[in-house]
Formats: sequence, C-alpha cells, structure tokens
Amino acid sequence: MLTPEDSLPFLLGLAVLLPLVSFFVIFLFGKWLEQLGAHIATGAIAAAAMCSLTAAAIWMAQHAPPATHHAHPAESHAVISQSSVHLTALHDGEHDHDHADGLVHGEHDEHADDAHFVPPVYTGHWYSLGRFYGSEVAINYYIDALTIVMFCVVTFIATCIHFYAGGYMHEELHEVTDHEVTLADGTHLKRPGRYHRFFQYLSLFCFSMLGLVIAGNIAMTFVFWELVGACSYFLIGFYVERQSASTAANKAFIVNRVGDFGMLIGLMAIWASLATFNFGDVDRNGDGKLDPHEHGLFSLLRPAGENGLHELRVPDGMVLQGAKERVEEMIVAAQPGTTTADLESQILAQVSLWRDGKAKGDATHYGYWLLVIAGVGIFCGCVGKSAQFPLHVWLPDAMEGPTPVSALVHSATMVAAGVFLVARFYPVFAPEVLLVIACAGCITLLIGGSIAIVATDIKRVLAYSTVSQLGYMMLALGVGGWAAGVMHLVTHAFFKSLLFMCSGSVIHAVHTNEMTEMGGLRKKMPYTAYTMLVGCLAIAGVGVPSALGIPFGFSGYYSKDLMLEQAYLFRSANPLWGSIFFYAATGGAAVTAFYMFRMWYLTFAGEPRDEHRYKHAHESPRVMYVPLVVLAVMAVAIAWPIFGNYGLTNVIEQGRPIGLWSDMASLDGGYVWLHESKSHADEIRTPVGLMAFGAAMTGIFLASAMYLWRVLDPTDARRTFAPVYKFLVHKWWFDEAYDVLFVRPAKVIAACCVWIDKQCIDRLLHGLAWSVRQIARCGEAWVDQGAIDGAINWFAAKTYSTGAALRGMQTGSLRQYVMFIVVGALAMFVLMSFWSYGFAR
Amino acid sequence: MFYQLIEQLRIDTLQQSLPLFGAELTLVVAIVLILLCRMLPVLEKVDSVWLGIVGVIAALIALRPFQPWSIGADGPVAIAMGQLQPTETFTGMLTHDGFAIAIKAILLFFLLLFFLLTKITKLSSRFDSADFVVLALGSILGMFVMSSANHMLMIFMGVEMASVPSYALVALQRRNKKGSEGALKYAVFGAGAAGVMLYGVSLLCGVLNSAHLPTMATRLSELFASEPSGSEVLVLALGGLMLGVGLSFKLSAFPFHFWCPDVFEGASAEVDAFLSIASKTAALALLVRVAVGFTTLPAEPAQVARATPPTIEQVAFVDAEAAPEKALQSSDPLAPARKFVVLLIGVVAVVTCTFGNLAAYAQTNVKRLLAYSTIAHAGYMMMAVPAAIAVAEVDKNSARQAIAYLALYAVIYLFMNLGAFAAIAFVREAVGSEEIKDYAGMLKRGPTLAICLTLILVSLIGLPPLAGFIGKFAIFAAIAQAWNLTSSPFLMFLLIAGGLNTAISLFYYLRIAKVMTIDSESDDTAPMQRPIGIIQNGYLVLVTAPLVLLLFNWDFLNAWLLEAVSHIIT
Repeated sequence: MLTPEDSLPFLLGLAVLLPLVSFFVIFLFGKWLEQLGAHIATGAIAAAAMCSLTAAAIWMAQHAPPATHHAHPAESHAVISQSSVHLTALHDGEHDHDHADGLVHGEHDEHADDAHFVPPVYTGHWYSLGRFYGSEVAINYYIDALTIVMFCVVTFIATCIHFYAGGYMHEELHEVTDHEVTLADGTHLKRPGRYHRFFQYLSLFCFSMLGLVIAGNIAMTFVFWELVGACSYFLIGFYVERQSASTAANKAFIVNRVGDFGMLIGLMAIWASLATFNFGDVDRNGDGKLDPHEHGLFSLLRPAGENGLHELRVPDGMVLQGAKERVEEMIVAAQPGTTTADLESQILAQVSLWRDGKAKGDATHYGYWLLVIAGVGIFCGCVGKSAQFPLHVWLPDAMEGPTPVSALVHSATMVAAGVFLVARFYPVFAPEVLLVIACAGCITLLIGGSIAIVATDIKRVLAYSTVSQLGYMMLALGVGGWAAGVMHLVTHAFFKSLLFMCSGSVIHAVHTNEMTEMGGLRKKMPYTAYTMLVGCLAIAGVGVPSALGIPFGFSGYYSKDLMLEQAYLFRSANPLWGSIFFYAATGGAAVTAFYMFRMWYLTFAGEPRDEHRYKHAHESPRVMYVPLVVLAVMAVAIAWPIFGNYGLTNVIEQGRPIGLWSDMASLDGGYVWLHESKSHADEIRTPVGLMAFGAAMTGIFLASAMYLWRVLDPTDARRTFAPVYKFLVHKWWFDEAYDVLFVRPAKVIAACCVWIDKQCIDRLLHGLAWSVRQIARCGEAWVDQGAIDGAINWFAAKTYSTGAALRGMQTGSLRQYVMFIVVGALAMFVLMSFWSYGFAR
Repeated sequence: MFYQLIEQLRIDTLQQSLPLFGAELTLVVAIVLILLCRMLPVLEKVDSVWLGIVGVIAALIALRPFQPWSIGADGPVAIAMGQLQPTETFTGMLTHDGFAIAIKAILLFFLLLFFLLTKITKLSSRFDSADFVVLALGSILGMFVMSSANHMLMIFMGVEMASVPSYALVALQRRNKKGSEGALKYAVFGAGAAGVMLYGVSLLCGVLNSAHLPTMATRLSELFASEPSGSEVLVLALGGLMLGVGLSFKLSAFPFHFWCPDVFEGASAEVDAFLSIASKTAALALLVRVAVGFTTLPAEPAQVARATPPTIEQVAFVDAEAAPEKALQSSDPLAPARKFVVLLIGVVAVVTCTFGNLAAYAQTNVKRLLAYSTIAHAGYMMMAVPAAIAVAEVDKNSARQAIAYLALYAVIYLFMNLGAFAAIAFVREAVGSEEIKDYAGMLKRGPTLAICLTLILVSLIGLPPLAGFIGKFAIFAAIAQAWNLTSSPFLMFLLIAGGLNTAISLFYYLRIAKVMTIDSESDDTAPMQRPIGIIQNGYLVLVTAPLVLLLFNWDFLNAWLLEAVSHIIT
C-alpha cells in the first residue's frame, strides 16, 4: 500500500468503482431512496475526487514535475531519469547507459527536458478477458501524469455538477408537469419525477469516463467509450417525452456510431498487425524482463532507437502486414530445400529495408499507410465523440438534456474523451494523421465560432462555443502542441462547466432559453452574473501579454497563448498550412471574445426586455451558486504558474509521451512538426501574445460597442450581411445537407427495402406458410389423428389391459406362489438349456 | 500341528479380521445393550430408537467410510478409500474392500434416516420399540454379511440373517390381519427360495469342490479349459440358476416377486421403505459379488498381510499363477460363465422391469403401486450388472464405472423411496388411508407434502431436473458404454428395453401426482383427521432436497464410489 505502484492503481481504481457502486445502489433501490439517491451519488463522486486528489499528491511526492522548459537543443545528453516504475526499468535494459543501478524511486527528474526523458508510467494488469493465440485482451491500467490530471479534473467538476444538480433537479422529486409536451387532448404531460434516475445515469456516466481515462488498452478504452456514449444517450434523452429531446439523443448516438465505425477499423488494423491493444508494456509473467508479447503499442511504435529519441518507427508487424505480397513472392521464389527457419530469417532481414523503402527497385514504405489508417481510424472515433467537423452536428442538439448534463457533457466527460484519446494515442499518430487532425480542428473552430455569433438561445451559444473550443484543442494537438492541447482541455473544462451552470442558473430563474427575453438580470442574480463574467473573461483568454512584462491572466489566457504559439511555430516551418491555421486560430480568438460578451451583455446588461420574466427572476439557491463560485475561482486560477514546479503546465509536461521530444517530418519531408519547447522562445511569444491580446480585445470591444453602448446597431449589421446571416442562422446548412445527402437516401433505400419485404418476401412467406398449413391440416387428419394418435391410444389401451391382466396373476394364494418358485426355476432352466447347448459345443 | 492351526486361527481372527469388523461388532454391541436395557428398570424408560440411532452413528464412525481401516505391517491403519486392497477376513469367509464399505455406509445412513422416520411417525412406540430396533439392526447386520460375502456359506447366512428379522418386521403390527398374512407369505416364500438356493449352492460346491468364491472361479476356469462334459455343464447351469432364485427372491425379481405386493400392502409404510431400500441395496451388492466372483479370476493372492496363508489360500495362489499360462491357450476360460451370467441377469432384469411397470398400472393402493415400482427399479438397477460383466473383459475401468453407477443409483434411490414411503406414512397419519383416490386435493390440504411427493415421483420416473435422472442416465450410460466397447446386440436390447420402460412408467407415477395436484376433494375422499405437522414436512423437505440439489454436484458422490470400486474387478 505504501509504494505508489500499489497505492495509485488502488486509489484510482477505487475512484472508478465508487460511482459504479452508487449506480447499482440507486438502480436497485432508487425508488425508495428519493433524495437520498442524490446524496449517495454526490458522496460517491466526492469520495472519488478525494481519491483522485490523494493520488495526485502521491504522484507529485514521487515524481516532482520538471522545471518550466525553454528551447533546449535536443543534442544535450544528460543522465536519463530513473524514477518511473515499469517503463523506465524496462527501457534501461534496452539501451545501455552508464547509470545502471543505485537509483531509487522518488528521485527527482532533474533533467526532464532532455530528449531522452522517459515519462513516469505505471502499468499493470487487473483481469484477463481472454487470450487469442498468445495475445491477450485484458482489463489493465496505464497511469501517467495525464491520467492523474484527467482524474482530478473529471472528479472535481463532476462533484460540483452533482451538488448543483441536487438543486437544479429538485422539481423531479415530485410529479412533474412537462409544459413542453402537449398531449392529444391539449393538456400537458404529467409524469412521476425521475430524480433518482437522473443521478443513477450521472453516476454511470462518471464511472464510464473515469474507466476510459484509466484504461490501459485501446479495447478497454473502446468499451468505456461506448458506455460514455450510451450514458450520454440516456441523459440527453432524459426528457424522453419531448420530441426534441428524444431526437437529439438519437442523433447524438447515431452520429457517434459513425465515428466509432472508423475507430473499429483502426482497432482492427492495430490488432491484426500488432496483436496487442495495450498502451504500455505490461510485465505479465512478473519476471522483470519484457518478452516480445508483453510490449505495448507505444514501445512497439517508438522503440528507443540508436539515438534514444524514441522516433516513430513502423513496427515489424505492420511492415509484414503491408508487405504481404512481397513475403508471398519470397516464399514462392524460395530455393527448394530452404528450411522454414532460414526463410523466416531471410524475410526478417528484409523487414527494415521494406520499412525504409530501400528494398531493391521498390521504394514503397511498407506498413506506413497501415499506420496512417490506424491513426485516422482512431481519430474518427474522436471526431464523433469530440464533435469535430463533419460530425459536430450532434453537440448543439445535445443541450436538450438537463443543464447539469450539458455542463458535464460539454466540459469534463463526453467531448473531453475525444481530445483525451488523441492525447493518449499521440505516440501512434503519424505526421500525416496529425495534419488531418489539425485540418479537422481548424474547420471545426471556424464553424463553431461563426454560428455562435448569431445564436440567440443561451445554451446554443455555449454549445457552439464548445464546438469551436474543441476545434482549438484538436488544432493545437494537430500542429504538435501536445501540452497546449491538453492544457486547453483542462482549463476549458473548468470555465465551460462554469458557463453552462451559470446559464442553467439563469434558465432556472427565468424559465426560458431565449436571450431576447432576458436582459438586466445582473441586479437580480449577482452571483450568477459575475461568476459568468469570470467565465467569459477566461474563455476569451484575457490577460497581460508577455510583451508588457509579467504575463498574467485568466486560465484561458495561458492555454490559448500556448496553442497560438505552437500554431505560429508550425507556420515557421510550413508557411502555407501554418498560415491558415494560425490566422484561423487568431481570428477565432476574436470571434470567441465577441460572442461570449454578446451573450453576457444580452443576458445581464442593459434593460430587461421581458418585464414579466424579469419580475419573477431570482438568484438560485445556495446549493447551486456555491459550486459556481468554486468553479469561478478555479477558472481564474487553475493555470496560474504560482506553485513553482507543481503548476498545471509542469504536471502536464510530465505526461508528455515518449518520442515527442524531437522534431518530426512527414514521409515525403514536405511538412515538419517542430518540437513544442521551441514555441516558448521569446521571438515567438512576444508577437503571438500581442496578437492574441489584440484579438480578444477586438472581440470584446466590438461586442461592447454593439450590445452595451449601442454605438453600432446589430440589426443593421444583420441587414447588411443578410445572406451571411442566413447562412449562419441555418448553421451552415449542415443539418439540411446531411438530411439530403444521408438521411433521405437512407430513407428511400429503407422504403425500397420495406416494399421488397412486404411485396416479395412476405408474400412468398405467406404463400409458403399457407401451403404448409394445408399440408399440416391434411397431415393432422390422416397421420396424426389416424396413425400416431391411433397407435398411441392402441398402445396405451394394450398396456393398460396387459397391466390389468398381469394383476390377475397376483391371486393372493400362498400355495400358488410357492408353486411359482418351482415353475419359475424350471421355466428358466428350460430357457437357458436351449442356449446352454450352444456354449457346450 | 493342531496347535499350529489354532495359533494361525487366533492370529487370523484377532489380528487380521476383528479390527476390520468394527462396524459389525458395534451393531452387535448395540443390539446386546438394547436388550440389556430392557432388563434394568432404570433404563427401561429410555427409548430404544435413540439407542439404535447412537449405535448406528457409532457404527458409521467405526466404519470410516472415507478412510477405512486396513491391516498394515503393524496393526490396523486408516488409509484412503482408493488405496484399500481387498482383504479376506475370517479365513476367507468375508472380504473387506471398498465396495463393501460403500454399501455398508449407504445402509447405515439409510438406517439413521429410517429410525428418525419411525420416531416421527411413532411407529416404534406403538409396538415394542426395543423389538423393532433390534430386528432392524439384526437385519442390517445380515445385509452387512451379504455385502461382504466371499464364501457360499456366508452368502446363504447373510440372506437368511437379513430375511428372518424382516419377516418379523412385516408382522410387527399385530392387530393388522393383512400384516400377519403378508408376513406369513413372506416367510413361506422365503423358506422356499432359501431351499432352492441351498440346493443350488450344494450343486455348485459339489462340482467345483470348494465354497470359497475365488477358488470356485479358479476351478471353474480350469473346468472350462479342460473340455467339460455335458452333464457337468448342466449341473453347473442348474446350480447357478438355483442360486439365482435365492437372489431373485431378495431382489423381488420376476418370477420370484409374488411376495412383494402382498407384503408391501400388509406391512407399514416405514417397513416398506426398509424392505425396498436396505434389503434391495444389500441384495444388489450380493448380486454384484456373486456375478463378479464367478466371472473374474483372482489375479493375485487376495491377502496382503497374512503370515502363513491357510491351505485353501495356497490352492488359490497356485492356480492363479497357472491361470495366465492357460489364458494363452484359450483366450479366456471364463468366457462361457460370463455369457451365462450376462444373459441370465439381463433377461431377468428386462422382464422384471417390464413386468413391474406394467403391473403397476392398474393399482389403486399406493403401497401396492410402489411395490411394483420397487420391482421395476430393481430391474433397472440389475441392468448395470450384465453391462459391467460384459465389458469387464475389454475395459476394466468401464466395468468398475458401471458398478459405481449402480451404487450411485442405490444412493439416489434411497432418497426417492424413503421420501415416497415417508409421505405415505404421513398421509396415513393424517388421512388414515393408503388409497390413491384419497390423495385428491392434497395440494390444498398439505401443500408441502404434495409438492415434495410430486418431486419424488417425477424423480422416480427419471426426468431431467431431478436426481432420479442422474441415476437412470448413469445406468444407461454404463450400458451404452459397454455396448460401445463390446458391440454386443444384447446390450443394445437392454438399453432399448430400459428406455421403453422409462416411458411406460411415466403414466402411473404421474397419476398420483395428478390426483394430488389437479383433482379436487370429493365426497368420497377420506377427510383430513389432523393436519400434517411441521416436523413431518421438514423431514420430507430434508429427504427431497438432495433430489433437487444433487443435480448441481453429484460428482463428489461418483468420485467416492469410483474410489470404492477401484479394486473390485482385477
């Protein structure tokens, strides 16, 4: 229990299981628990949060995060840190350095910046699900700094949301009249409250997300991935009687399946070529050495190499899979008399040539495209879950669920899962895949931001803002900013949950989502108004740019600047794509600031536009606004670099996977991904910081001019750009386009199928059934009733009469009985003597 | 010379035999104590049934059914069941082996449950309790001798020791005319059968010059190897048949079953349980002993730790050494005997089974019906013996398995029949009738009893969810396995006959179930005089539970029995 390799899996495993226990308790006894159900769920997730924070403390005590890094020449060689458990110890055996032993756990990673740095990772095995020809699918864990950070974020935010939901959902304690559902007779639907069920799903949701985060292999990830999808389906469709809610739930589910289809392809590519799903190396037989089948994906794809840089290398399995035809040719061309072992070694000797495209007269890089397919496939799943273009359409509709669900889905759980998986799987992505990720992110960020400008539904603004911010994260990850993307994931989780819960508080007060019916609410609900303002400032990334001395600001400021810096760095190496990405991101920053402040002004500033609603508005109960305040504090301060080496940036930096410490180029060398630490150089930070600051200020200023000071009239702008406005209000016509492209053709095909089914197959079947029935009727009359029944009845009657006749033998006369002894013995003797002649002969 | 003989006898009796005879001695002590208690006025008040139960438990402890005694180099030691080599005791009169111990354990376990049942139904207090207990214990003692008999004398002794107390048990209800009539028929029929059997035994011994079973088998093989004359074979066959008559009487096999329905109707249901379970189990054990004894040669001297083997053993020893040489000449000298035994027992089994099932159809009295059911079940169980004998020459393991399955069926049958007769006894107490029609509406009148009895009846048919299925399936599996290995058409015939009989038996068992559950009470149904008590229901549930639970795990039982029979066919 005392060593982290024991305590971390235990604590985090407990954190995963507690919500599951809560789910089962509420599932079984929910009806009788009433409000206690919420307490159980909240208690479980709070306990999970405590476990996670304890785990984080243990982690930091064991592995002090590295100092903030600056551009380091990758050539510097220093002693490799030895603090991690499995991975380091195992790598130690692979490349012989001069630090063999004498290094104990807990020694600080002083040279973490070094290109050879191997991040501390704990891998282990929990339960074996099955073995297939020596390859195992298991429930295991992979704990690194990213896992720890995600656990803390998810459990913390989920705890706040649980508290908040306890207040928000209190209507569900009694019978509910749903005013949005009108029955056929004109009345509103009345249904029993579903308070406990809400918390039941919430618990399952948390369990799924935490399981996803701790998963040690991609198959387990996929299972929890689907569980998250199922939970979101339940929660988005919580008001199942509402047409819009059930449609939205279906949409979210189906769109996600499209992405999962790609993910399955990725999984298959990995399994078929590498025969393992594990991320890290798991020493299954516990002999302290790594057997070939104990290698995880990361060490297969990024072996230490000669320079110890863990550069991406297509593993042998994929090369062989890709060069299948060449292998077959070799087998066919083999000299007669060649042994299997010889042939095998010949083929293996070819592998490295095939990999590098150096085989004689054949420049194909075998296996490389398989790697790209695997990466793109996995990313497809992330596209679905993280609402990236072109599968972003489900996320805005998902706010049909209760607001706490939206807060959870949009911040720490569902959509975060996609980004998390990209971050987790980063070592596997080939440069080409990264480019795809960056493009998807860039498009998504523009689409989301542009639609958010014109939305009038307060939750819809936030929903599109989420889409846009997710695009940011993907863009950052795609251009090589691993830490930037993860950092934004964390900060965004805090301020977006804050913003959603604030909007929920507003909706709770005024009973409408339309911002056109709000206004001036800051006087009625000050806590909500000012915590939401903090959220807006954070998401806009307001802060003092580094050019002005001390860089300091809201949490969003740090992550946004990191992302923009990385995009700028990417531009320096790849001018065309880099420029597009960078300007899109900078423009996006301005747009973000604009629509956030537009929303805040429309809601809280100015005069009330609907006096009736304004009159009934009130501040939410304490159980709802206290979480808001807590989250607001986090949204401000989470990224502050005031904790020395223990700041968020440093901890995330510690989780940077192996192999991301050097530059990377695409196969044809046309694109170069520069190492992230180079983006912290002053010549990049200064201009980018100023531009980001300028963009945010422009957005805020424009919003203030239009909605606060009313210098510019929004309706004017609307009229001037009427076609654009229409385009945006209709959300780029995505839903309509998908309707025409996919839904309607599918329906037409379905109708055809129905017609064929009814007109051809059914008729055929009916005809067959009819004839069978006729035959059966004849059969029944003749065979069954006549022959079989007759035979059985005859047999029964005969049996019975035989029985009755046998009864007659039992006369009760003793003399006769004794006679029978003699008669019986004699009869048997006669019987046997016929036969006894047979054996006497 | 004479002194030496006495000394050998002393060593054999005191050091080799008596330590292995603990369970029997305990029973004898119990009988003596119970009889003595009656003489002392202080102990007169003690219910003899309790003393009997204590005696049975003590005998079970002395028997050690899981780690039986064996004679080691320095005195008796407890060893694992599977390692127990068969040991002849009392100069070859009895044999001490796993099979005998398993059968004895089953008998003692039954006796325990039987005494509890009689305590519940107050059968014993109504009559002279000590008489009853002593008779039951004495009969069991005879069955112990039957199950471990190794000598013709002991076979006859055992059968008589088991039978004579049974006659008295049947007549225990003195005022019941039918009981007395049944007892008389039983006694006369038994006397007749015993006479025939004794005649058969004397014929066999005369031809083979010995009464010691292994020696007889050796002689028989010699005889067959040296071209026997027709008259010798004739006498042998006649002797075997007559011995079979005695066994058939104990098994109530057709055509020597006539006593059975009358006796069962006359005796009380508890005694019926005793006759149908204990008596039948012991008779089957004896059948296995005789059939196996005559058809297999003792492969090695049966004695392990005997200082100076008696003369009779020396003969067996020499012949056993000579036997393999002869085996080279003619493949197996005992093959004719084996064929004879297989055919005889097989035919009797099929006829008995079919007859029992058919005759049960038209019965109106529950006890009579169950008497025929007992006959039929004896037939099923006997079918395992020809399977074992037939397959023994090909695969000894399959043969052992068949015998183990037979014992398994006996264990399951114990629960089924005990439950059925207990239910009949309880209904007799409550309703005062033993006619099937008076069971109408039992589902409402005594639901626990009705459900338990229905389960027991379904189990007697051998339908899958209940333990009766395991037993029947095991027997049929043994036959099928034997058929597989020998491909003898006769075994296939046995299998088909067994299957058909199972189908036939469906009707009459279910008739009782139907009367109990579907038919409602009518005017001519005997009314309930008193409700069925909780102890009665508890006892029934206790006995029925194994029938349901055994399906989940009966392997432990099979494993134990397999270990027990691991040295029976050498």
